[in-house]
Amino acid sequence: MAIQEVRVQTMPYLEDVKGKYLLHEIQNTLHITSITELVTAKVYRLEGISAQQAEFLARHLLAEEVFQIYKVNEAIIKNADKLVEVAYKPGVMNPEAGSILKAAADLGIPEMVAADSSYEYGLYGTLTDAETELILTRLLVNETVERVVTEKPATLIIKGQPGGTRVIPIRNMNDAALLDLSKDNLFLNLEEMQAIQNYFAALDRDPTDCEIETLAQTWSEHCGHKTFKATVMIDGQAKEPFYQRLRESTNQTAHPLVLSAFEDNSGVIDFYDGLALCGKVETHNSPSAIEPYGGAMTGSGGVFRDILGTGKSAKVIASTDMFCFAPPDLPDSEVPPGCLHPHYLLRRVVDGVRDYGNRMGIPTNNGSVHFHRDFRAKPSVIVGAYGLMPAADAGKGQPVNGDLAVTIGGRTGRDGIHGATFSSGEMTSRTMDVNASAVQIGHAIEEKRISDALLRARDEELIQAITDCGAGGFASAFGEMGEDTGVRIYLDRAPLKYQGLAPWEIWVSESQERMALAVAPEHMERLAAICREHNVEVTVIGEFTGTGKLELFYYDEMVGELTMEFLHHGLPKRIMTAVPHEHSVQVSEPGLPCDWEQVCTQVMQHLNVCSKEPIVRMYDHGVQGSSALPPFAGVAGDAPNDAVVIAPVPGQKYGVMIAHGLNPVLNSLNPYAGSIWAATEAVSNAVASGANPDELVLIDNFIWPYPDEASLYDLDRAVDACVDFVTATGMPFISGKDSLSSTYRALDGSVLKIPPVLCISCFGRVADVTQTISTDFKRPGSIIALIGRRNVQQMGGSAYFDVTGAASPRVPLIDPAQLITTLRSLYQANRSDSVLACHDISEGGLLAALAEMCLGGEMGAAVNLPANERADYSLFNETAGCFLVELADQAQSEELFKDVPHIILGHTTAEPNISVTQANNNIFNISTAKLFTAWQKPMQEVFGGC
Amino acid sequence: MLNMNKSKPRVCILRTDGTNCDQETAYAFNKSGGDSRLVHVNQLRSGAEKLADYQILAVPGGFSYGDDIHSGKVLSVELASFLNDQLRRFVDDGKLVLGICNGFQVLVRTGLLPWGELGSIQATLMQNDSGHFECRWTNLLVEQNNCVFTQGLAGTMVQYQAAHGEGKFHTNEATLQKIEQAGQVVFRYANVASGQPTQDYPQNPNGSLHAIAGICDQTGRILGLMPHPERFVETFHHPNWRRVSLGEPHGLPIFRNAVAYAAQTGAGC
Repeated sequence: MAIQEVRVQTMPYLEDVKGKYLLHEIQNTLHITSITELVTAKVYRLEGISAQQAEFLARHLLAEEVFQIYKVNEAIIKNADKLVEVAYKPGVMNPEAGSILKAAADLGIPEMVAADSSYEYGLYGTLTDAETELILTRLLVNETVERVVTEKPATLIIKGQPGGTRVIPIRNMNDAALLDLSKDNLFLNLEEMQAIQNYFAALDRDPTDCEIETLAQTWSEHCGHKTFKATVMIDGQAKEPFYQRLRESTNQTAHPLVLSAFEDNSGVIDFYDGLALCGKVETHNSPSAIEPYGGAMTGSGGVFRDILGTGKSAKVIASTDMFCFAPPDLPDSEVPPGCLHPHYLLRRVVDGVRDYGNRMGIPTNNGSVHFHRDFRAKPSVIVGAYGLMPAADAGKGQPVNGDLAVTIGGRTGRDGIHGATFSSGEMTSRTMDVNASAVQIGHAIEEKRISDALLRARDEELIQAITDCGAGGFASAFGEMGEDTGVRIYLDRAPLKYQGLAPWEIWVSESQERMALAVAPEHMERLAAICREHNVEVTVIGEFTGTGKLELFYYDEMVGELTMEFLHHGLPKRIMTAVPHEHSVQVSEPGLPCDWEQVCTQVMQHLNVCSKEPIVRMYDHGVQGSSALPPFAGVAGDAPNDAVVIAPVPGQKYGVMIAHGLNPVLNSLNPYAGSIWAATEAVSNAVASGANPDELVLIDNFIWPYPDEASLYDLDRAVDACVDFVTATGMPFISGKDSLSSTYRALDGSVLKIPPVLCISCFGRVADVTQTISTDFKRPGSIIALIGRRNVQQMGGSAYFDVTGAASPRVPLIDPAQLITTLRSLYQANRSDSVLACHDISEGGLLAALAEMCLGGEMGAAVNLPANERADYSLFNETAGCFLVELADQAQSEELFKDVPHIILGHTTAEPNISVTQANNNIFNISTAKLFTAWQKPMQEVFGGC
Repeated sequence: MLNMNKSKPRVCILRTDGTNCDQETAYAFNKSGGDSRLVHVNQLRSGAEKLADYQILAVPGGFSYGDDIHSGKVLSVELASFLNDQLRRFVDDGKLVLGICNGFQVLVRTGLLPWGELGSIQATLMQNDSGHFECRWTNLLVEQNNCVFTQGLAGTMVQYQAAHGEGKFHTNEATLQKIEQAGQVVFRYANVASGQPTQDYPQNPNGSLHAIAGICDQTGRILGLMPHPERFVETFHHPNWRRVSLGEPHGLPIFRNAVAYAAQTGAGC
């Protein structure tokens, strides 16, 4: 059928904003100066309508004559030196296509059968081919999902003949053949492949591709958490699996708020008024490494679905994002083959998180970004979500025999196939080519309407059980839901985006925005009506049975049959060996600074200290009207708070506190101490803001190199740190996730281990949000007290040592037992109305914390450092669990903090300077403006001003 | 349907795919004495709900249909195609219409703003000059005019959070002059220190012409604005409630004025 093309452009006399920023980036980031101008146009392709109809749509839908011009079936950028059109590849779903079809139908043109949209870029100037190529690869085209359009397509409709079901002759395979089958697709080891071989040998038949794929998904590291469930051998001694240690420590706390820990798609705690809160934090590193925009979007979408799939479904009320990247100014030559530049990655990941969270209407209000050169092969992209639901709906639902197996939401396509197994593998220079299908573009609006429909269905008690289709797609979702009963699925009944999918592809596809439900037959009609009202597709694709089997059909053909016993318990238990090793660091300490101003500004503009405000501004952190403590506040709105507080129930003063902590640098130097630091930082952020430490719970995310013997030992130390932290403080982990593929293998076989990341998130309930605390100094003349124990000689891993080129293995060692005393004392102080402001000390040390408090209050401070501490160490030590507190007078400090380490450091001043003395000798005096400029500079350079 | 409770005007909070500020907008009206109901556009199309049963129509913020093609465009097309008569009558009956953020974009793209002419697009909300979505608190100067929603606020400054990527008010010079001369500008982005309208970023977060943040129609009964009054209806919604006293939450008068007007006029139901 004919395709009509409509091209739309901003009127020539108005600014082409998209073009302006691209030009700026080409000139300033790619340093290409031969380009003089860049103009953009949007291209719509509309199939199945006439040119007259296209003209009508151009006028009434696609272009607005107030500010745009359009052309039908004609070029619109006519005199550019180079003209490039970039579109999604066929098969990558363009979320806009559905809206174009809908609006055309609403305008009386239902004949349109397909639509697509793309962008054209007109480049002006004497660009060389090499420069054009650089612009395309670095800025305009991500070849994983996009392509340069060189000719008008004949059709937009994807056609295909479905492949059949293949039988894999596994019984005849030798070990080499088994491994060959596993490589690049299944990511299973020889022992696991042999277990599959033995299972089918006993059945006297070979498996189908559906069966092999089902096992590969379920047994993948991503879904099966094999390392965390393995027995760990150290020096000949067997230690309990990590997973078991974490769970047991949680059980031992017997925390009264915990309703569900490690059982459901997120952890659940009690809230107020018969409500419950839940939290989940996910990683999406591998997809984000090869397609950062789509990868980050699907990361957000996935973790939101975890909340929607908790209990009988919860409403998502907040989102968090924590990233680790290589520095954005990394020289191109240092980017490993097959990897994307961190400047591009950072910006596109932020765009992805922004576009998903904002469109779904989830406030993204807590997060951080960390930088280290060794993230150059693969970033860490961590996205969290928190939810609210009736406590009565908080338990995980169980299907019963006869329930319908229902899928709702998006259609199934070829996208995302092998995502779970891909996430479990190492990244190599081949990853971008081989695993391109593992990433797709998320469709936030689809997920939003699913959410609207599901919450209604929950309230009408129509949902027996629910889970999300994430990694492993239907295979994981229905395979898990049917574990205790059995389930029969008819793959031909699943709605498809386009024809041509083989049964196994339908089964393991990871197409986004789908949920799996168990629904009693008598509720199906009502559920369908709700879905219709919300424009959500819902389909019965099977039923839960009492057979204890997974049975897969494609029309009349049985294409798979596995016992739930083998699927879920046939995976060989691993015994893994960890070997202790030293993290040797040459000690090199800096001399006392000669130029304090220079050192202070260097620390403030250190990438791990600097302001991340330009990122936060792009996230809608106020939607849902729940904000009670925003990520940035203070006089000019540019000073960071430690945690976020929301009041998610309109009209109620009770609220939710959310915070987090991570420090890959410390984790690299000392996995145990770094992990304690991360947990301490998380809860300190919350308590500094007014949380009660006895009403906080934790979520772990281990993002670790592939667990060889050395990395496994480090991981063991990190897990032990978590357990020790729980035992000492009583704050339990209720959810967690491990991603053990932070290893890059280059073509020459050399290996780059990405720094280990333990991200600890924490959340809890707050009885009254009006009793929470911000970081900005409130008035001149207040007392500034330093609360908490620290040994300032422990400078290893600090930003100060980084900027001075120093190094030391002596990292901050925090005693969790002492910490909990400090936290409880601070909580009581915060409740007393005596605390005007509070900020915890983290990266950048006391100086950075003090500067941020001054920035928020637009005032200054005079501090006198303890006489027995090295002045620079005192200012830049990064021991978490220490706090700066603003109090009206000194007597209050003695009274409030009599049981914990505390000193009076100084006082706030009206003049915007920070003056530092020691033993009453002047050390230096610096204007806060200088510090702020330095602190704001790095991210402004990456993202533009804010 | 008869409005049984005359003291509680009924508010239709219009929803569709991607609407996401509906619940807080409903709460803001309810807190101000309204009786809000979330109504999906499909319910209006099917006839299960009728605009005539309501006295106030609010089109809340969000990303209706993903803001595909243009922000608010697909919903505008839908309203103009299927609910033209209902909307026309609603407006002609002297009832109130409020569009916030995406809702403002919808009101402009249906033609209800600036002149209540359904199907005639006279102004637009373009991409921000910054090139991207931004969420920040803005300081707004309230103009003196006949806008029902801002009675009693003229000349004052209010602070609302803005959160949008396409909020730059733009129209041709003639239309702009006509809007200005008719006194249809309701809110302007203003410098917090001087109190004067500003084109400076970030106080003017999007580069709007004449610093326009919100306009009404000539009757004063249809209001659209980009910043979010529903996000400041509790003291603790403000980012700096701990350091400054701001009096009554600045968003409340908008909803209270609307509810009071609807209760007094009892229009239509």
